[in-house]
Amino acid sequence: MKQAIALTVNGDVYEVLISPNQTLLEVLRDKLGLTGTKKGCDLGACGACSVLLDGEAYLSCLMLAVDAVGKEIVTIEGLSEGGDLHPIQKSFVELGGLQCGFCTPGIVMTAKAILDEEPQPTEESVKKKMAGNLCRCTGYKKVIESVMSASGRMGGKQ
Amino acid sequence: MRLPKFDYRQPESIQEACAILLDQPDAKVLAGGTDLLVNMKHRVETPSMIVSLKGLRDLDYVRKANGMVRIGALTRLKKVYNDPFVAKKLPALAAAASSVGSYHHQTMGTLGGNLCQQTRCKYFNQSKWWRSARPLCFKAGGDPCHVAKKDQVCYSTYCGDVAPALLVLNAEVVLSGREGSKQVPLESIFSGVGKTPLNLEPGQILTEIVIPEQSADGFSTYKKIANRGSIDFPIVGAAVWTSASTGESRIALTAVDRKPVRTRQLEDFLKGLELNEETIQGVDGLVAKETQLMMSSIDSISYKRKLMGQLVKSALSEAMGGR
Repeated sequence: MKQAIALTVNGDVYEVLISPNQTLLEVLRDKLGLTGTKKGCDLGACGACSVLLDGEAYLSCLMLAVDAVGKEIVTIEGLSEGGDLHPIQKSFVELGGLQCGFCTPGIVMTAKAILDEEPQPTEESVKKKMAGNLCRCTGYKKVIESVMSASGRMGGKQ
Repeated sequence: MRLPKFDYRQPESIQEACAILLDQPDAKVLAGGTDLLVNMKHRVETPSMIVSLKGLRDLDYVRKANGMVRIGALTRLKKVYNDPFVAKKLPALAAAASSVGSYHHQTMGTLGGNLCQQTRCKYFNQSKWWRSARPLCFKAGGDPCHVAKKDQVCYSTYCGDVAPALLVLNAEVVLSGREGSKQVPLESIFSGVGKTPLNLEPGQILTEIVIPEQSADGFSTYKKIANRGSIDFPIVGAAVWTSASTGESRIALTAVDRKPVRTRQLEDFLKGLELNEETIQGVDGLVAKETQLMMSSIDSISYKRKLMGQLVKSALSEAMGGR
């Protein structure tokens, strides 16, 4: 049976009619049109669907939309402010931390969660926490460089 | 991949959750969701109702009281291994919790949910389309076991990382039902039956993990071999706890049988012996006798047997240094 829920996404409250079996990923993409969050494996193995829930990196494909009620959800669309890219996004652009770009929204959101939790991470720590975000272009080296550079840009030392 | 349809309930208390489960024997409990929802997408689990525990706030804690460390079942793995006491004094638990899946799974997955995860098999953890090439296996609702080539049995393997660590730390668990709660040894909740791996009564929910503080006095570690260090389930995982003062050792393995296994014969053999290169020479032979390895993954039995021996040896060698 469909039910109406309110989701807080990127600071805006959306009322949506959903079925309990819809994942947060499906609702973000298909109901709210926020297609920046990508559907990769849809089984929690690739990280392309990563979003922030109350500041932490969650896999939106393994989260029921109805369970996200009351949480602050942030997607890639909510990261930049007034047309200005977020420092993490700037680092990825400048250092070429992306190739085809499909995994990038998930990677950037995971990077945000990592840097909020640990503003000056070691490269080892970034590698370990990023390991669940797969990039099939295999551009991992530049991804790690971009996250480390973003850490510096956001005030952490490198 | 769409989830199958189900009714959804979000109870506000454990008592309410237990009552719903008693009423709806087919219902499943959802904690972190990282195991159940994947199995549902694969259509190997299709409960008519989901009882989501995400609304419960009071099962999220790590606290010490009366010589016990008590951890709420809904405490997420990341919080468990970031807890200063766990990180410093219970290194086997910290290592196991931080080796589960990826960072995201550790952020979402709970300690109780990790213990209660489904067993795994190369014929079971597959999409409906993949599985359609063979008759439905026993665990998924059919008759045959494609691993054992027999009917009405299941040799799926328990692959949880945290269970062996908690077993060597002598953990107990609190099971809550409508009639109240009881504390039982962790080992007793694993049935060893592939199709129904947990000994939980209808309406029962695992609500707390209890570790005696004495377990913090020994050396402990968890070691895991997986295809990718980043995200995979273990090919084999081994936890070891040793005490210099009592000369006791406790050893447990995962991904080697239908339940996590305490290797008691090996523990008896090591009892009172000084751990050194010589005494740990023969441990691989003893370890192999205490598990029932089957080809339920893509790794061969002989490969797993070798890994198992090596992992236990390497953990015991570390214990020699750590004593």
